[in-house]
Amino acid sequence: MLRVEGLSKEFRNARGRSAKMVQAVKNLSFQCKPGEIYGLLGPNGAGKTTTLRCLSTLIKPTSGNVFIDQYNVLEHGQIFRSKIGFLTSDMKLDGYFTPDYMMDWFGKLNKMQTSEIDERKEKLFVDLKMTDFIHKKIDQLSTGMKQKTAVAISLIHDPDVIIFDEPTNGLDIVTSKAVTDFLVSRAGAGKIVIISTHNMTIAEKLCHRFGILVEGELKEEGTLSDIIEGSSWDNLEDVFFSYILPGGDHV
Amino acid sequence: MFKDSLIIMRKELKRMFTDRRLLFMLVVLPLVMLPLMYSFMGKANKTRRNEINSYTSRIAVCSGEGGGEVSDLFFQSLELLNANIETTDLGELDSLKQRVIDKDLELLIVMPENLDGSILDNSVFDFSIFYNSTGDYSRFAFDQVDMAFAQVNDVIVRQRILASGMSEDLLIAYTVNKYLAPDETADLAEEGSVMGKLIGVMMPFFIVIYLFANSMKVGLDSVAGEKERGTLAILLVNQVSRLSIVLGKMISVMVAAIVGAVSSAIGLKIASRYLIEMTSESGASITEYTMGSMAIIQFAIVVIPLAILISSLVLLVSTFARNVKEGQGMIMPVYIAVMVMGVTTMQTGDIPPEWMRMTPVFNSLVVLKDIFMQSALWGNIFFTMATSLLVSAVLIFITLRMFNDERVLFRI
Repeated sequence: MLRVEGLSKEFRNARGRSAKMVQAVKNLSFQCKPGEIYGLLGPNGAGKTTTLRCLSTLIKPTSGNVFIDQYNVLEHGQIFRSKIGFLTSDMKLDGYFTPDYMMDWFGKLNKMQTSEIDERKEKLFVDLKMTDFIHKKIDQLSTGMKQKTAVAISLIHDPDVIIFDEPTNGLDIVTSKAVTDFLVSRAGAGKIVIISTHNMTIAEKLCHRFGILVEGELKEEGTLSDIIEGSSWDNLEDVFFSYILPGGDHV
Repeated sequence: MFKDSLIIMRKELKRMFTDRRLLFMLVVLPLVMLPLMYSFMGKANKTRRNEINSYTSRIAVCSGEGGGEVSDLFFQSLELLNANIETTDLGELDSLKQRVIDKDLELLIVMPENLDGSILDNSVFDFSIFYNSTGDYSRFAFDQVDMAFAQVNDVIVRQRILASGMSEDLLIAYTVNKYLAPDETADLAEEGSVMGKLIGVMMPFFIVIYLFANSMKVGLDSVAGEKERGTLAILLVNQVSRLSIVLGKMISVMVAAIVGAVSSAIGLKIASRYLIEMTSESGASITEYTMGSMAIIQFAIVVIPLAILISSLVLLVSTFARNVKEGQGMIMPVYIAVMVMGVTTMQTGDIPPEWMRMTPVFNSLVVLKDIFMQSALWGNIFFTMATSLLVSAVLIFITLRMFNDERVLFRI
């Protein structure tokens, strides 16, 4: 079980006298069960990436906490990281090495034995259809191949919680499907999957539960039917736009 | 923890030593460039010296009245020089000076009036010798004439002494080392320490510069480059401690710095003949100098902590900088400061001031000099090692704090 409790994050937006504190995430709480795909929806600047970066231990919450079972992000950073696989579009791989080498390297850093790494690599390379390019330098790969490599690396240690920020951004339709199918299969294997997206079609297809984040605040949370029933709209996209463009401007 | 550092270090080293471009910059270039550079400079220097020595100077001499026999002595000494002598009278003095200014003449000598008379009444006479210090050969011609006239001076003084019925031994109050036994040498320096002194003056400077330059080549990219390329975050979300990351990167930078410095030292050894030709007249070579096994151990005890200190410093700047370019700008003043330290140590005598022995980097330079001169004390060696390691620990601690500070790590 993953629990986010009262998570807030403030940033200083500039230096010197003009510096102002900006609250990127405001008192955010939600939780996810194993086998569930949770979609964090919101426009650009809503606080999705900040939330996920707090979940990944890359940045520290200003207040609140995140728990995976009995471990929390503030006190057990390293154990917490062993339980998550995190990927965001601004995380790049060293283009000088091959996917195969990087998988070995990250496997070792995740305290895995060579036999475990080999086994895990074989599975991920097949599942993500990577076998054709695992010995090519990452610099020579297409965007889709790089994304698949990044996905495989983030999951080399078979984490309990998968956190992907905009996992299909910039991908062609075929690679995008390969990644989303893979996430569905991971949830089917009992993993917790949290994704952020502003693509409602993908969100509706993938996610079991949703949180709509606007200006750092969680406006709605629940299953698709929960959200639609509590609104005057009949689909997720319209509910989403009703928060971004209040007053029915989007219709 | 240390196992993780080694995993990180191995990847960083694989990156450095399999990347042909980086390998060329780090290992091949100093190995080839130094001998090429110094042999070129040495050859240019030698050619220049030969050119000056073989140059026929143009000298004008204005003879005064009453020259006679003594004047001839001076003219004869000038004729022994490689020079074209042009004799004129005082009426042309101004135009001759102009010719020296225009570099049409190297030298203008104005003989004193009544030279023979001055000799007879034992009075001092004065030559005016005009030269142009901006001319390539003028100053050289001046020195040659000064030496030639000094010899004539010795002859005249000797004649005066003899003429007054005194012994010419009066001219010599003492001699130095004239009566040493044939197998006796006046220089009691231990074998190898003469060359050691010459190396001791130059080598610490080169070592610190090469260590710093090589650390910069790889160290700035190690964190600032990763920030810039966006490859650092993926490492940070894995179950590896920040300390392991810092240590792994620091060790890899240090290894690269030492490998680069060794390559540079080999290049320097090849280039030594040309380098020493330029800096001394001895014509000796570094190849004549060998370090004993104890000196090599002492050298390692000082150089490895110094490499750790420099790598830690470069890594700190690399961690603080937003990108490689900013890092280069930040590290440059430090690099210049280290160069100044190197030059200062080169110009310090055998007994450096106490503050130098207490100051990190400075004390490494001073102790390295002692090691090359075979006069290093173990107390100084261990103190230097301890200060380098202590400063490194402080720098690593600050870097670690930065690695835990998202404002530093993600201020892109």
